[in-house]
Amino acid sequence: MKLLRHTLLCALVLLAGCLIFAAAQSKQKGALTLSEKVQNLMEMNLKKPLLRFNGNKFREYVKNPPRNYSMIVMLTAMAPSRQCQICRHAHDEFQIVANSYRFSPSFSNKLFFAMVDFDEGSDVFQMLRLNTAPVFMHFPAKGKPKGADTMDIHRVGFAADAIAKFVAERTDANIRVFRPPNYSGTVAMVTLFALVGSFLYIRRNNLEFLYNKNLWGAIALFFCFAMISGQMWNHIRGPPLVHKSQNGGVAYIHGSSQGQLVVETYIVMFLNAMIVLGMILLIESGTQKPSNRNRIMAMAGLVLLTVFFSFLLSVFRSKAQGYPYSFLFK
Amino acid sequence: MTVDIGSAGGAATKTRVFLTWEKQEHLVKLAILILAAVLSFATRLFSVLRFESVIHEFDPYFNYRTTRFLAEQGFYKFHNWFDDRAWYPLGRIIGGTIYPGLMVTSAALYRLMWLLNITIDIRNVCVFLAPFFSSLTTLVTYALTKEIHSTSAGLVAAALISIVPGYISRSVAGSYDNEGIAIFCMLLTYYLWIKAVKTGTIFWSAMSALAYFYMVSSWGGYVFLINLIPLHVLALMCTGRFSHRIYIAYSTLYCVGTILSMQISFVGFQPIQSSEHMLALGVFGLCQIHAFVDYLRSRMPKEHFDVLFKTLVSGIVSVVLIVGTVLTLTGKVSPWTGRFYSLLDPSYAKNNIPIIASVSEHQPTSWSSFYFDLQAKVVRAAFSFIYIHICLQILVFLFPAGLYFCFARLTDANIFIILYGVTSIYFAGVMVRLMLVLAPVMCVLSGIAISHLLAKYIKSMDAVGAKPAAEQSKRQHKKLEQQSGGVKSEVAMGFVAVITIMLIVYTLHCTWVTSEAYSSPSIVLSARSHDGGRIIFDDFREAYYWLQMNTPEDARIMSWWDYGYQITAMANRTILVDNNTWNNTHISRVGQAMASSEDKAYEIMRELDVDYVLVIFGGLTGYSSDDINKFLWMVRIGGSTDRGAHIKEKDYYAANGEFRVDKEGSPTLLNCLMYKMCYYRFGQMYTEGGKAQGYDRVRAAEIGNKDFELDVLEEAYTTEHWLVRIYKVKDLPNRGV
Repeated sequence: MKLLRHTLLCALVLLAGCLIFAAAQSKQKGALTLSEKVQNLMEMNLKKPLLRFNGNKFREYVKNPPRNYSMIVMLTAMAPSRQCQICRHAHDEFQIVANSYRFSPSFSNKLFFAMVDFDEGSDVFQMLRLNTAPVFMHFPAKGKPKGADTMDIHRVGFAADAIAKFVAERTDANIRVFRPPNYSGTVAMVTLFALVGSFLYIRRNNLEFLYNKNLWGAIALFFCFAMISGQMWNHIRGPPLVHKSQNGGVAYIHGSSQGQLVVETYIVMFLNAMIVLGMILLIESGTQKPSNRNRIMAMAGLVLLTVFFSFLLSVFRSKAQGYPYSFLFK
Repeated sequence: MTVDIGSAGGAATKTRVFLTWEKQEHLVKLAILILAAVLSFATRLFSVLRFESVIHEFDPYFNYRTTRFLAEQGFYKFHNWFDDRAWYPLGRIIGGTIYPGLMVTSAALYRLMWLLNITIDIRNVCVFLAPFFSSLTTLVTYALTKEIHSTSAGLVAAALISIVPGYISRSVAGSYDNEGIAIFCMLLTYYLWIKAVKTGTIFWSAMSALAYFYMVSSWGGYVFLINLIPLHVLALMCTGRFSHRIYIAYSTLYCVGTILSMQISFVGFQPIQSSEHMLALGVFGLCQIHAFVDYLRSRMPKEHFDVLFKTLVSGIVSVVLIVGTVLTLTGKVSPWTGRFYSLLDPSYAKNNIPIIASVSEHQPTSWSSFYFDLQAKVVRAAFSFIYIHICLQILVFLFPAGLYFCFARLTDANIFIILYGVTSIYFAGVMVRLMLVLAPVMCVLSGIAISHLLAKYIKSMDAVGAKPAAEQSKRQHKKLEQQSGGVKSEVAMGFVAVITIMLIVYTLHCTWVTSEAYSSPSIVLSARSHDGGRIIFDDFREAYYWLQMNTPEDARIMSWWDYGYQITAMANRTILVDNNTWNNTHISRVGQAMASSEDKAYEIMRELDVDYVLVIFGGLTGYSSDDINKFLWMVRIGGSTDRGAHIKEKDYYAANGEFRVDKEGSPTLLNCLMYKMCYYRFGQMYTEGGKAQGYDRVRAAEIGNKDFELDVLEEAYTTEHWLVRIYKVKDLPNRGV
């Protein structure tokens, strides 16, 4: 009887010990406790306001309970090989929001900003069944994300203000977006003025060049070319440099007349410049004394004019469907 | 035609004819000008020939209505007109909030015609006003180019401008809008200004002030003009070309012009307050100072003058700065308005006017008041953007060539045209609408380039060709050859041929663009049937006449704002909102009614005293700019004010975030008033072979909600092709029934 009790006790103690050990071990190996998680996150947040997760970290901090904090996660594909131009913009905007949040009074350990890159955590994309990027998702403190926890970037866009508004809607954390002011424009202007000013100062005794007609003429012409070829449109709308065409090649010319590509505008600018050059050659060929050079100039001008004009026409034909006229080339 | 000019201006070597040289030249000149003027009138008549003499689009209907009022009631009534037919229950003061130049012009023409016993209808005056003025523009362009360069250049420019699409787009017959006459006024002002600069007489500058007054009275774009002329003066000062002539011309123009422009009640005190006009004021001041300094310099020893000059400059600069700051701070000088900014800094538009950026980049759209000003314009701009570049394709490279010429031979007038060209090309780049301002200067500069080239090469052609025939003296021939630069006649011939081909392509191109792009009235639609015949949809007018004939005189019609002007003008009924879009909340209320469910909408409609509701529906015919496609705008605008906070755009999207009208569409959409009004009884219609009943041809989907009855509305009228549907709002039900 005594022996039995003894062994039982022993077994119990052993069991308890085993249990404690196992528990201790499991705690070390498996999921972190809530407080540890929060602490880790806060530490990471001190270094970088926008946390960068891979698949494991995502599971640990976002997917697995327990959590008492919300997560705003941007799922994106930043690697250059993915050719996601929009992701870069989205990342910049998201970074601004995260920074603003980090230094705002509403900063707390209840909300964190994180991002997952496709190339570091493709399993996350599979897990969430996503096949587009970028996606902004909110993971609430309790429960799973619902439909409204994914930000509708097609509708509201992904400007920092829109993200902040989305965050405010989902988590009640009001973030005032603070953009780092952009001094580059001012600096460029000041530099330009300084350069021009100093140049004028150095040449102050010889300002004749300011009255040089050719200089001003060239400036005006260049300005006209820039405007005619739609650089202003580029400036306002910011179209991509080139497109990928349907059959895999690179399209330099936008297929419809509603849009244009940056390269296309350069092409048009070049064509226009060539035609004008041809025209000017023709004009100039007449003003000097007759010579062989004149004849060559006239011929060159004529050739430039016809060839590039027909090029220009064919470019237009490819843009405006149903445009009936062409010259030399189809 | 332009080649004729070249040979006329160049050298008609035969002298043995019954008319003398000058007479011949005059005759050819006159013939060309008349031809150009007639052509510019005729080429704008496509839509009249194809359809009939109707006013186009939306804004022109308002102008037409006001013109009719002016012609019937006289100017004073017009000036004090408070319109209770629009913006029910608010109304609108019309006399003081429009540029009256257009209406006064047509009313005057109308009166004149009647005086001469030509009993023309006021509508026809309105329809043909823009083509008529474009004929006048052709003549003015000739005069302007002649002043700047030469007669032959003027003739080419006149021929070019008569068919340039950038201008045609705003001046086809029936598009009765301010721009139609404004371009004429602008060019007239420029012409008289150049005249004034050249002669330095008060007469010409007073004339140009009068022309400027006409311009101010007809278009808001006069701001461009009143900045360009001072810029010209400034440039002349910088290049040391300032003289008494310019002093007289500008001082007169500025004083008289400003006083006159303030007579337009819509302009009011802006010319001395808003910063858009400050350049003109500043240059006026500068003119006085410059003249005064010149006077002092001629009367003083140099040392004294230098001291005085330095003190004066520093003193004036500081005074101007202080006064400017004080005035801006106290709000006397209005801060730079958004429109002006958007012209100067294009990225301003990108950052601050959401609609521009939102189109391509899906940027967030916070509803600012800019939206209302811009939507119609942006939509139109997006459409016409297609044609800008092609419109001007030949002019596009003749223009820089002409610019080059002007630089090669700088005069006061040339400097003006250079400035005009460079600034307008900048503005046209920023805003598609301002293509209109660019078109004339392109024609002028291209005219200069072409006439130069043609004159030279045709000369050398003649010179060589004439040798064996006319046995001219060797000396004369040599001289001619020297003039022509010794280019062989074959080359010259080739060159002329190329230019001719290009001009022919230009003509073909312009005609094509005009007929394809700019000649649909959009009030009468046309389509091709299966067998290739043309079908005309005249549903809009059908509906408006129905309204006029079958509804009480004081009935109030609710529709989306696009159709406001047309309803007031054609049906003569009271409407709630129109294209003027000055009241955001009111439009929003209408949007809320359209986007709400039937009973909610009924409350709003009772509140606004609506009797009839009019919707545009294209599902049967495939007319894509109908109300369902505009519906998201209504939701957005409806939800943008406090009272419409319950309307959320998200509710109108299907589960996958698309906007769709079929079974998958959101229930909110399928039960809102707009949906029900558009698709009432549509579920029983067969629209396209092989498709189920209720197949919407615009959205290419079978509608999701087919069997429903309307509770608070009853169908009053549906036009032949279902384009317009009109519903009557039921009265409250009797008690106890």
